Amino acid sequence: MPYFRATDPFPLESADHTKLHEFYARLAAGRLATTRCAGCRRLAWPPRAFCGECGSDRFDWTDLSGEGTIHAFTVQEAGLPAGFDGPRVFAIVKIDGLRVFSILVGAEPSKVAIGQPVRVSPLRVADDPDGNARWLPAFCPA
Amino acid sequence: MRKVALVGAGVSKFGVRKASYRDLIWEAGKACFDATPAVKPKDVEGLVVGSVLPERTAFQSHISSMAAEALGIRPSVLSARTEHMCASGTVGIRYAYAFIAAGLADLVMVLGVEKLNQPTGDEAILNMGTGVDREWEAAFGLTAPPCFALAAQRHIAAYGTTEEQLAMVGVKNHTHAAKNPTAHFQKGATLDQVLCSRMISTPLRLFMCSPITDGAAAVLVASEDRARDLTDRPVWIRGTGQALDGFQLTSLHEDYAHWPALERAGRAAYRMAGVTAGDVDVAEVHDCFAIAELIAYEELGFCRKGEAGPFVAHGRSDYGGDVVVNPRGGLIGCGHPLGATGVAQAAEVFAQLRGEAGARQVLDAAVGLTHNNSGMGEHVVMIYGREDR
Repeated sequence: MPYFRATDPFPLESADHTKLHEFYARLAAGRLATTRCAGCRRLAWPPRAFCGECGSDRFDWTDLSGEGTIHAFTVQEAGLPAGFDGPRVFAIVKIDGLRVFSILVGAEPSKVAIGQPVRVSPLRVADDPDGNARWLPAFCPA
Repeated sequence: MRKVALVGAGVSKFGVRKASYRDLIWEAGKACFDATPAVKPKDVEGLVVGSVLPERTAFQSHISSMAAEALGIRPSVLSARTEHMCASGTVGIRYAYAFIAAGLADLVMVLGVEKLNQPTGDEAILNMGTGVDREWEAAFGLTAPPCFALAAQRHIAAYGTTEEQLAMVGVKNHTHAAKNPTAHFQKGATLDQVLCSRMISTPLRLFMCSPITDGAAAVLVASEDRARDLTDRPVWIRGTGQALDGFQLTSLHEDYAHWPALERAGRAAYRMAGVTAGDVDVAEVHDCFAIAELIAYEELGFCRKGEAGPFVAHGRSDYGGDVVVNPRGGLIGCGHPLGATGVAQAAEVFAQLRGEAGARQVLDAAVGLTHNNSGMGEHVVMIYGREDR
């Protein structure tokens, strides 16, 4: 048997696998959403199916504006994990009062700046083992 | 609570090792038992093993029992593994401390071990991504360097810290490591070498980062009565603190150069030990990246917030300064075999407070501190004393 690695670095996004399926369904349609607790009305990022503030497991989905600004960023040039390419712009995006961690795609790394406007740009990654398409909430310059 | 002390310590060679996971356990165990002739494996009542990635790197779980068998230890009161990412080793020491202080055990070994280097380097890095949130962070390819790079960017912007000051942490710790025969790197480094090394994640360059390292370390932890039987120079655990600010990057303090959990963990440990930052002679802090050492100076009270750059530049964290930080070479010089790091830090403080650190000896070291973190949001601090109060 030759050397092989068996690691799926992406989340299982389908309704069979996660209570947060709605997030990914909306993302596939180009919308960035998150959860609002049905008990205390707290808006969360990332979305969550249990509220650590009030203890409720009831929540509603709400779309975010999809546009935000860069709060902090770094450009990783070397030492990336297997399967991921550099240079890679990692960023904290401020959006609707929330801080969202993501990557910036379609940007010239040397031109990225704090305060720069960005918008959500769903990134398709490897299909899941059942052949379902998978998406991550990446951002691009607005 | 009963008093608790370290009575023995040993460290394997750290590096890219031609050695298996079990080889590393044997090496650290032998080094510890050789240094503690009064203790045989059969005397050890408990074993705690700090290890993060054996399921990935050695395809092995059930770690504490495997290690106990490898070393001839037959635990009768405590056997457990601690997985707490980069702070796993110190978290293991805290468990041993608590068991012994509570009267549930008298002699426990804490061993940290990691075999990180895989057949391919990028796969080793992929494994490191298990320490951040898989769904919301690691799926983008996030590992530790960009996280700490955000802190460095912020420290530079807020306080005028310079790349040269970041580089001086690399120079100091590589220079210290050259005097440590178990360190990953032994050649030292000049300021030019650090500043010209490859960019990893802006602004952190290669020689400002800890490498991917294999290694293991072990300490023996004992109750007061047992400790006084075993050695005339126990090293006492005087204080300990642990605090969590957050796990995901977006849960941490919004200013990434501000690590409130480290300040809290340090304050708890100082209070318990009855000492202040000014009393610390030697500190092993978690310099996974140069910026982490700078922020540790500030949050641990060695200098004021924002003044860490000048603090290292003026030699105040080196021999002859206010406090000698990372005499063994730190994570930058020794490498960072995750679970082994916190135990190796304790082993260094043990040697320093017993006056056995050889070329690295800090003159008349009486109070030592170790700081181990798991990301920027979680910190563990231990205070050790040559005297029991």
